[in-house]
Amino acid sequence: MRPGYLLALPETDYRQALALQHRAVAARREGRLARDLVVMLEHPPVFTLGRRGGRENLLVPEEALKQKSIALVPIERGGDITYHGPGQLVVYPIVDLNAAQLSVVAFVGALEQAMVATAAHWDLKARGDAVHRGAWVENRKLGSVGITVRRGISFHGLALNVSTDLTPFTWINPCGIQSCAMTTLSQETGVDVPMTTVRREMARHLSELLGLEFEAINLESLTSLLG
Amino acid sequence: MKEISELHFPENLRYSTDHEWARPDKDLFVVGISDYAQDRLGDIVYVDLPATGSKIKKGADFGSVESVKAVSELFMPIGGEVVAVNTQLGDTPELVNSEPYGNGWMIKVKPGDPGEYQQLMDQKSYLDTLKG
Repeated sequence: MRPGYLLALPETDYRQALALQHRAVAARREGRLARDLVVMLEHPPVFTLGRRGGRENLLVPEEALKQKSIALVPIERGGDITYHGPGQLVVYPIVDLNAAQLSVVAFVGALEQAMVATAAHWDLKARGDAVHRGAWVENRKLGSVGITVRRGISFHGLALNVSTDLTPFTWINPCGIQSCAMTTLSQETGVDVPMTTVRREMARHLSELLGLEFEAINLESLTSLLG
Repeated sequence: MKEISELHFPENLRYSTDHEWARPDKDLFVVGISDYAQDRLGDIVYVDLPATGSKIKKGADFGSVESVKAVSELFMPIGGEVVAVNTQLGDTPELVNSEPYGNGWMIKVKPGDPGEYQQLMDQKSYLDTLKG
């Protein structure tokens, strides 16, 4: 196991979290951040567009999003349009893939498996998919994966629906797949799934799958490391 | 993922630490990604390249390749003006996987300083970095 940092944040604005990721990637590359970092958080409601755009998969006018004060943010991640909101666990692993000896494909697979293993804590049987990446329960999508690799360092990551309001997903074709139904841990298990347990389970499985022994770090300490 | 020994690295071109290659072509340089890079990425589904006429410095981002759910950024091995891009990759991005040094080429660059080519690694040095 290699030492890694785990940063647990409360609900955080999407653009602020993105700026933090950019700084962490640069610092990891330049060695100021000497360990891999995993950030866990939730976002206020936001739609993000991948490199290939995906505006055609937004089924409501952009104006309608503005009225609801939901931002539409174009970013550099793989994949198509997606939604983040409260009740969804978002995980951003800033990992040096060369040091971890992981190919991009294996890394994406590990993120899928972390979601599958987390769901198994509630005896829910989910699976990854080599073509339509993500965590699936039958043909319903429980979690999404989308990463970017910048000079060997990963960022962006995964989003697991815990108790998310799924209504905003009906305004898009999530992942660019037609008729891709979304689901949540709470919906599938019929019980109230606490986010704190999901965070704990996710950390445990990511630790195993990525070979990282986590040390908790707070935002102040991390910020001072990033310079 | 293949073993390094199963991958192909031609001797008539040079490589960057970010796994791009460059090959002299008259007064231009042809640029693409190495067999190692395409193998690590997996099936490439989309290639994002700059407009011709773009002037981009050595080491700066010139585009990206997208494999299933992952985008990897591309960096200029040699700075200069992009005078041609491989438009074939629009419809057939998988050429980067199947022919990384041939029809999977990405851009042609008119170099600002042709001397930057000599600063890239030759095949042997590049292989040494891959073997760690």
